Parts: sequence; C-alpha cells; structure tokens
Amino acid sequence: MTQSVFQQLGGFKAVSGIVMEFYERVLDSDIVGDFFDGIDMPQMIDHQTKFVASLLGGPASYTNEQLRKAHQHLSINAEQFNEICKILDGTLADQGIGPDERKFVEEEFEKRRSFIVSH
Amino acid sequence: MSLELINQRLMQSVQVGIAIINPQNPTGPIGPLDPLGPVLVFANDSFKLWFKIEDEHSLGTFLDNGQIAEIVAEPPEVIPKNIEVNAKPKRRELFLSIDISHFDINGEPFLFIEVQNQTRKKELEAMINSYAKMMERNERELKREKERAEKLLLNIMPKSVLAELKEFGVTAPTKYEDASVVMLDFVSFTEMDIAADPAAVITELNDIFTNFDRIVEQFGCERIKTIGDAYMAVSGVPEADPDHARNIAKVALLMIHYLERRNNTHKTQWLARIGIASGQLIGSIVGIHKYVYDIFGPAVNLATRMEHSAQTMNIAVCSPMKEQIEGEFEVTFKSNEEIKGFGNTDIYTLDSIIGGSIN
Repeated sequence: MTQSVFQQLGGFKAVSGIVMEFYERVLDSDIVGDFFDGIDMPQMIDHQTKFVASLLGGPASYTNEQLRKAHQHLSINAEQFNEICKILDGTLADQGIGPDERKFVEEEFEKRRSFIVSH
Repeated sequence: MSLELINQRLMQSVQVGIAIINPQNPTGPIGPLDPLGPVLVFANDSFKLWFKIEDEHSLGTFLDNGQIAEIVAEPPEVIPKNIEVNAKPKRRELFLSIDISHFDINGEPFLFIEVQNQTRKKELEAMINSYAKMMERNERELKREKERAEKLLLNIMPKSVLAELKEFGVTAPTKYEDASVVMLDFVSFTEMDIAADPAAVITELNDIFTNFDRIVEQFGCERIKTIGDAYMAVSGVPEADPDHARNIAKVALLMIHYLERRNNTHKTQWLARIGIASGQLIGSIVGIHKYVYDIFGPAVNLATRMEHSAQTMNIAVCSPMKEQIEGEFEVTFKSNEEIKGFGNTDIYTLDSIIGGSIN
C-alpha cells in the first residue's frame, strides 16, 4: 500500500503544526475570517484538523455531498475559495512542506471547488 | 541604553500580559473603594491588546470595577489569586490565565497582574481530542472491515485452518486418520426443465444449499465445497470427532428429509443421490492467491463412488462406515459391486435412525 501524503509528512505531528498555523491565518484574513468568527474554539479546531487530515489523504474524509451540505448556506464565492487555497498553500510552504505535496493538496482542494462555491 | 529603558522594552515585548493596577483612585479618600474606580498604572502591549485597552483610564475588557473590589476585599491569604477568563481581541478567542498579587507602596495597595496566554495549550488539547476521536472511528471501521474479511475467509476454510494461516502465513496439509464425508449430487440435473433458466437454477440451488449448510452446521460438520449441483461436507476435520460417522449419517438423512419436504411444496423436483464414507483423508489449502480449502484421500473417493452407486433419493454406505453406525441406524443390504480402487464391495442403503428423531 502506498503511503498517503499524510503519512509521509509524519501523521499527526505534521498536521498539528499546519492546523494551528492555518487556523490563525484564516481568522486573520479579512476575506474569509468572518466565516469563522463566533464559532467556538474546539469545534473550529475539530473542523480544521479533519479538513487538513482529509486533504492530505489522512483518516477523516468527507464525501462531496457532505461538503456541499456543509457549505451551501454560507454562499461562498470564488474569491473566498481562492483565499483559503492561498492561505493553505502559504501555511504548508512555511511549515516546510515540499512543492510536490503542496501541488497534491492544491489539486485535491480544487477538485472540491464546485461543492463549496455556490455564489 | 539605560537599564530602565531595557526593562521597559522587555516588559513590552514579552508574550505575557503585565499590568499594575491601583484599585483605589489615589485622589479619593482612603478607605472604601472610590466610586471613580481603579486606575491602570501600567500595562504592556500584550495586556492592552488582549483586553482592548485604548487609554490609561480604562481597564478595557479586563475585570470590571466590582470584580476588582471583590478581589481587594478578600483576605490577604487568598491573594495571589488565579482566574481564568476568555478574551476576544479579534476574531480569535483567547484563553487567559490571570495571576493577581498585591503589594504596598507607602501604604498604598497595588495589584500586580500577570496574564499567561493558554490558548495554544487549549487548542492543542482540542486538537488531540478531535484527532483521537477520528482515530477511534477509523479503528472501529478497520475492525469492522477485518471482521468482514475474516467472515469471508471462514466461508472457504475452517476456523482453525484460518487461525494457522494467520499465525504462520502458511498451512500444512493435515492428515486425518478417521473422518467421514458426505457427497450429494442431483439426478438428471441437466435434463430438468429448470436447467434452461440459469437464474432460476441458482436461486433454487442457493436455497437448497443454504439449508444444507444449516444441517451441516447443526452437527458440527464443515461444508467443503459445492461444484455445480454437487455438495460435499465432512465431519472430523479439522478437529477430530469420535462421532464423525454418526454425524455424517444424520446429515445425510436430514438432507433427504429436507428435499422430500421441499419437493412436496415446490414445482421443481430436486432428486438427489447421496454417498457417505469414512476413512483417511488429507485437508489442505490449495492455491496461494485464490485459497480453497479442500480434502483428498480414500474417504473422499469412496464417498464419491458411493454417491454414484446410490439410487435416487437414497443414501449409499459401505464398510468401514457401515460398522461404525450400525446399531444406531437402520441399514439394508443393496448390492455387491466392483468399486474402482476399492475392489469388491458390499453396498448398503442408510434408511433411518433407530428409535427416535435425528435431532
């Protein structure tokens, strides 16, 4: 069995660093930060951990239908989607993730665009 | 740079919130707390940021005057005091741990406030929690998957053989000195009307073989395989069983009984011939990627020959199995035949169990 990017990066240890940093940057962003304002911290962390783990091919994975249901009421536009993509890529780069893995994550992310962007 | 300046810079830059509060307005009367409230004497950048302090005269979102009054009013032994609060300077919620101690300067009381940012710790805790739950869920799914795979494997090999395969990666062919085999085949299967409709054949055979499986299981026997319309089961493999001959005899009788009852209520008449035999056999897994557990040897061959020799809806048996079950089962002499590989053999028909029911 080939290792997932998640395992290659070192599993939880790598993901925790990414999640913390990503969480901070998303909240700081004026384009997407408001989506996460007012959400309670454990829930937010839970969301981010699963999100990052599943993008890297780790344990949690969402079906496209679950993603669509979770996002449709937020009427997310393309700019906001791109912003998250940019923040994620920046976070991964700063956490020392190589270009190949980042490209993999970006492609995984892009695949789900139509289920997230609704506006 | 003077030492004082260094101190000041240091105080401003540390990741700890530091503040000094004079709980009573120094212009007010000494004694009870002044209605004008406490005064912030000093606050570093972290403190100001966390509690949204914009000018020196306000405590921002830090404890209100009433809370400070309560702290001051408490007896000295409960100070230093620790309080945990949440703050939200921007979108991010912070978890702060506040230590309050007090000191006097010229008889005037001051509160020294030290605030540690526990957010990361709390976040990490939440993350570990979330991750652990994720792993637990995954583990449960893996376990279910494993059970499903095991169940499938148990369909093609006995439990003890699977255990051996799991432990050692291989299984050795095992010789069983004394076991019994039942072989069943349907008569004129290819000429039956239903044979023209493969889907119907499979449905009916599935129903019949499922019922045979139940019977086989009831007597602790193992179904080895089905080939087309033939069905083979064994007793005494992989665990030796002194009752193997009696078990197989009972299975054979119940199979006939089941078919008779089924034929009474169904259009398609399934007529079987059954051969049973005891003796030596070898059980082994055959194949590397496509596992099949199979049995070989004299007992298997003899059961096959008996089945060929049996009349429709009859069970054929010969020595040594006949001797093993005699006394408990009714057998009738049928014929003496030349059996390939076994020579001249007396063949008997197994009719019924003596006195009482099979179950």
